[in-house]
Amino acid sequence: MVDEKKLQDKAKETLIRDDVRRLIGWKRSTYGYEAAPAVLTDASQADQLIFDPTCVQNLASFISLEEKKPVARGAEPDTRKIAVMVKGCDSRAIVQQLVEKAYSRDDVVVLGIPCMGVIDRRKAEKLFGETAGQVSAKVDKEKVAVDIEGDVKTVDRKDILMDKCLRCRYPNPLVSDFLLGEEVEKWADDDFADVDDFEKMSPEEKWKHWDEQFSKCIRCYSCKSVCPMCYCVECVVTQLKPQWTRRSTDISENTAYHIQRAWHLAGRCIECMECQRVCPVDIPIMTLNRKMTRDVKEMFDYEPGVDPEGEPMLASYNPQDPEDYIM
Amino acid sequence: MTEEYEPNIVAFLCNWCSYAGADLAGTSRTHYLPNVKIIRVMCSGRVNPLFIVNALQQGADGVLISGCHPGDCHYLEGNFFARRRFMLMRKLLEHVGVDPGRVNMSWVSASEGAKFKDVVDDVVAKAKEAGPMDQFRRRQINW
Repeated sequence: MVDEKKLQDKAKETLIRDDVRRLIGWKRSTYGYEAAPAVLTDASQADQLIFDPTCVQNLASFISLEEKKPVARGAEPDTRKIAVMVKGCDSRAIVQQLVEKAYSRDDVVVLGIPCMGVIDRRKAEKLFGETAGQVSAKVDKEKVAVDIEGDVKTVDRKDILMDKCLRCRYPNPLVSDFLLGEEVEKWADDDFADVDDFEKMSPEEKWKHWDEQFSKCIRCYSCKSVCPMCYCVECVVTQLKPQWTRRSTDISENTAYHIQRAWHLAGRCIECMECQRVCPVDIPIMTLNRKMTRDVKEMFDYEPGVDPEGEPMLASYNPQDPEDYIM
Repeated sequence: MTEEYEPNIVAFLCNWCSYAGADLAGTSRTHYLPNVKIIRVMCSGRVNPLFIVNALQQGADGVLISGCHPGDCHYLEGNFFARRRFMLMRKLLEHVGVDPGRVNMSWVSASEGAKFKDVVDDVVAKAKEAGPMDQFRRRQINW
């Protein structure tokens, strides 16, 4: 487990540095099962930082949101770094952003946190109901102890942790300047059984499933706003010239939107599951992303967010790529 | 009186090989099916996979992307990139429930007019088998 005192001290130490502009971490939220993100600029604020299984949000999404203000004539641009706290899965987002040269390694200070899994709000609400109280939690190899305003409840890991944690292959950060806490042992593996199950359906059944799901979509674009890999300044789905998808929320445009989203994440998605977490209408968006991840791995032997020196999957090729469907 | 269903096929042909191949099929009086509507692009690597989604939205029943054989690309490597892209896009559309026979890719060189005819016949047959594309076609095209 991560010692919060040590984490806060390290955060203070980082914020005092001259070359660090701000630090992004987690703080206790006012209510509910998810911790809130905290953007700190001063070392005196570091006492509010926490890390426990309620820290679900992927903070790597914030790095590319940093405002690039125009620089006045004669003035030097602000080149100070941004410090960010990452779990194992979030660190893959940073690796992938580095691969795509979204920023350089010198622009960020990565405070890595070995993670034992985080809570799924939907599962928790099913178990304990919605809460207006503050929640903290502890996790070990078998159980999760959820503390709702002093009322401690212990449940099995698989009943409350996010699905991504139950098949987590990278609990330790893949890239970090400082590691807060000891490395943890890997406890699971990913066999893509859910993708295989879905593939057993006939095309008609698949379309029936997606017809239902996509019809619910209200196109709030939460999934693309929260995604750490969706950092284009102008997104293809909102651009008007050319207009790829119209703004109406009918099944045609919704389907096109979701195909576009999944397509743009093909070979880039690092499975932090943020898109599915924030979806207000509970569309299983990750099903599409996981299908792409599985196929990319199978066909091109590529895994995003692992090798900072690697090349983006669709910007490279292998002459021996499969082409079994090509006439 | 029932008319037989005739699918609409949109074909993206590369300027250097497949378009010339289609041209050869025409000049040598090979009869290929008129269902296919050809769009000439400079390279198969030019074709954005979102073109396919857009074509299916706007009334196409099938799509064909055709380029030079691997290694023969006029721009050296455009068709290698295209191959990766459409391999994936096809899998994605299949996952959403689109019949995989609607998305086709072929390598047709400038001297393969006869092959172009065979490819078109094949694509049309597959699209006929899949039936009209009505899953996510735009209901109102003009508004």
